[in-house]
Amino acid sequence: MFPLNLQTAFIVEEVSKIIKESVEAAIGGNAYQHSRVNQWSTSVVEQCLSQLSKLGKPFKYIVTCIIMQKNGAGLQTASTCFWDNSTDGSCAVRWENKSMYCIVSVFGLAI
Amino acid sequence: MEEFHNGNEGSFNQEEVDNSIKECIESVVGGDDYSQSLVNKWTAGIVERCLTQLVKQGKPYKYIVTCAVMQKTGAGLHTANSCYWDTTMDGSCTVRWENRTMYCVVSVFAVAIA
Repeated sequence: MFPLNLQTAFIVEEVSKIIKESVEAAIGGNAYQHSRVNQWSTSVVEQCLSQLSKLGKPFKYIVTCIIMQKNGAGLQTASTCFWDNSTDGSCAVRWENKSMYCIVSVFGLAI
Repeated sequence: MEEFHNGNEGSFNQEEVDNSIKECIESVVGGDDYSQSLVNKWTAGIVERCLTQLVKQGKPYKYIVTCAVMQKTGAGLHTANSCYWDTTMDGSCTVRWENRTMYCVVSVFAVAIA
């Protein structure tokens, strides 16, 4: 049994930190604005992806972002994956401020 | 220049997946009204069905299926995806479905196994 190689493993904490920083940088402090939300979600996923690829690990990444205005609506999300349990991983972060929710998911698939 | 044509067994067929997703959504929530107590079961049901259909195709891919169900109350919802992968082999498909009381957005990501 090989020891876990930190340089090639999907580390949830590391990815979670990247997501939180990307969301804060893109929309922290802003109130929901219909005209800007397109730009924000693009910015969140791009920042995340750029930070992830900088980690230099042998992974393909998929980043998804949902931004929803707070007005009492119910939102439920689910995901399921068919992959290699020993090498692949995912991380989801739910962020909110007074006017909106932002849910970011990162899936990492080992090459 | 030699042109390599990817046979169906090894490529991502977006139309086929699109139809498959629509059928899965219809069969799980088609005709239902948004219900807080059932929505958990619905999203789980939709992703499982989609995944099962995809895996049945027997192609050399890893799959990720995500589903978001939102109640219609006038709130704004925006989703975005970005992928760092092999653009020649990998692919994705997103389907937006709605009825009178809810929206359902399902995304499928297929990543080729080397």
